[in-house]
Amino acid sequence: MTGSTRIKAILLIEDNPGDARLIREMLDEQGSHTTKLTLVDCMRAAEGHLVAHPVDIILLDPGLPDAQGLSAIRRVHAAAPRVPLVVVTGYDDELLAEQALQEGAQDYLVKGQIERRSLLRALRYATERKRLEQLKDEFVSTVSHELRTPLTSITGSLGLLMGNAAGNLPPPMARLLAIAHTNSQRLVRLVNDILDIEKMEAGRVVFNFSRVEVRPLVAQAIEAMRGFAEGYGVRVRLEDARTATDVRADPDRLLQVVTNLLSNAIKFSSANDEVLVAIEKGTDMVRLTVRDHGSGIPVDFKPLVFEKFAQADAGAARQKGGTGLGLSIVKQIVDRLGGEAGFADAPGGGTIFHVQLPCWDHVASLAIDRDAKPDAARLLLCEDDLDTALTLREQLRQVGFATDFGYSAGDAFTRATATKYHGILVDIHLPDGDGVSLIVRLRELPQYRETPIVVVSGDTSRGRDDLRSSKLNVLDWLNKPVDFDRLARLLAKPAAREANRRPRILHVDENDAVARALSAIGDVVTVNSIAEARHALKTSDFDLAVLDVAHAKGASPDLLPELRDSKGNAVPVVVFSADGATLADDPQEQAALARSHTSIDSLVATVSDRLASRKTSASSEVI
Amino acid sequence: MTGIRILVVDDEPDIREVVDVSLGLDREFTIRACASGADALVMAAEWSPTLILLDVMMPLMDGPATLANLRKNPRTAQIPVVFLTARTQTDEIEQYISLGAQGVLSKPFNPMTLAASVRSYLTSPKVH
Repeated sequence: MTGSTRIKAILLIEDNPGDARLIREMLDEQGSHTTKLTLVDCMRAAEGHLVAHPVDIILLDPGLPDAQGLSAIRRVHAAAPRVPLVVVTGYDDELLAEQALQEGAQDYLVKGQIERRSLLRALRYATERKRLEQLKDEFVSTVSHELRTPLTSITGSLGLLMGNAAGNLPPPMARLLAIAHTNSQRLVRLVNDILDIEKMEAGRVVFNFSRVEVRPLVAQAIEAMRGFAEGYGVRVRLEDARTATDVRADPDRLLQVVTNLLSNAIKFSSANDEVLVAIEKGTDMVRLTVRDHGSGIPVDFKPLVFEKFAQADAGAARQKGGTGLGLSIVKQIVDRLGGEAGFADAPGGGTIFHVQLPCWDHVASLAIDRDAKPDAARLLLCEDDLDTALTLREQLRQVGFATDFGYSAGDAFTRATATKYHGILVDIHLPDGDGVSLIVRLRELPQYRETPIVVVSGDTSRGRDDLRSSKLNVLDWLNKPVDFDRLARLLAKPAAREANRRPRILHVDENDAVARALSAIGDVVTVNSIAEARHALKTSDFDLAVLDVAHAKGASPDLLPELRDSKGNAVPVVVFSADGATLADDPQEQAALARSHTSIDSLVATVSDRLASRKTSASSEVI
Repeated sequence: MTGIRILVVDDEPDIREVVDVSLGLDREFTIRACASGADALVMAAEWSPTLILLDVMMPLMDGPATLANLRKNPRTAQIPVVFLTARTQTDEIEQYISLGAQGVLSKPFNPMTLAASVRSYLTSPKVH
């Protein structure tokens, strides 16, 4: 199987020209004409390359000018989660190499010890290993779904029997059915946990961040676990918290964290014990602790607590109905929430688990870019993922921009009304609404009618075409990871942008065929009424308007004076008669109108000519 | 026709039966079941159910495709559809709602409360 692994495109991310040459020579010796090596010397270039080109394997030296160590590895993994990654480390950096493997790298090579044979083997091995990892992920996902089907029938049937839906049960039979019912539910939990872990590891869980009040959420989790706790004869008590303890988190996922911690603490308590939950506020973090009075965690098990399927006393844990995945899920979620999870022996016996999450106040204070130069042009980035936002801010700073954050659509809108931004970047997926409606609201504000707006999306296609041809005048659509060079170009040069953009045509008509034909030569916004046309003109500029004669006849006197761009210049109008009717002969309109009443083709030709003459005249004015 | 008519569509006979008994706990429900999207289109047009409980993963015509076809026929276009699915990730729920489903219920379900859950979709307005 390994022999058939064919590597065609290699991306080498290495800023040291000597090291890069060495690797290139080793690969060239292979005498293969089908292998293509691309060299980039910084993370920005690597991310840009990965967006645009398919790559079979990545070789990364994580000591780059713009990204170092683990963060470099994470960024490459985030940019290309499905591409095998081999890390090239210094000879004294075994620790980083090990961490690299945990962060998703398939193998590592040590500088100074690389020779041709070991390099080629590493490349093949990494490719094969990555393929197997993906097979495993798909397998787990399929099996879990397949398991749910029979489980649905089993738990459903048992649930009906236990609910006396088929009549009252004699006590011995009820007891046996209760055992079957409880265990079928445990199997459901196990399948859910396995799916959760798998989705999380494959990076397929979407986190919706918002401001979360910790206390009510914890109280809700305790209430939901009450029945479970009573089953063990355990009381759960929440200590009074006086200060406000808001964090930035995904409330559903945080609830899962608290539930898993409670479930763990309850299971390892004895009857009549108390589980104590406390919430404390630190400077930047809120700390949640769950204390049990169980027998504590054995010393040799401590390093394994957050591992999958790890149970200190497997037999005892199974008896308690645990899946061995709860704490591992806690750790993974808390990592993604930008927090920290840990545990310690409790004084007097038992264990204290803790979770620390970023304070809302702290995250909110990061929203304003305070480190940029005072004269920097200020951008607004509407993005709910803090890490992504911070990374983009860092990159934008290098090309002279200051970047403020809006963590939600509402947040971004408030900020945009308080400050005038030079440009706006909008993530299309936002916790409190979609980015499109945010753009609609922004375009309705006079100060943002012309501001460059760029959409940034993790979703490759959804809504893209809708936005392109909409009246929102969105500058461009960039997929994550963001092609940074393209973004910088878009924001930097309004003149160049203007020259290259497609003409915008306002089409007042109900004829789809005309709209389709026109979309070949420009971005078409079709409206069905004069009222809609008026609204479109308020929110965006157009290079040309096409009016169906039926509409133009009655409405042209009203509409024509309003057909002006933001600088007050008249927008050229082409009046079109789809049914060949004679056009009104109003001398006032002559100057602005061109006419066509033959065919769609000739209409398109007329519109094309008009647009071309607009461009020429505009450029001659500049000269 | 009086009463509340629920059409259950699922390719697994055992699940159809469990759903049938579970929904039958509500005395006002009249339940019919079929095993494929194609059958669902015919039965929905003939019987005009009050609500359709639709499985997502079915061979040939899956749940979303069945929903799309129901919407195309004027006789079935207005019938509320609730998905009953093993896939209940948030992003997928959003996706189903955007397809025009009234709601999403997850498998495995609690058989003693399934009828009440279905009922809640009969009165609540469609969530966008």
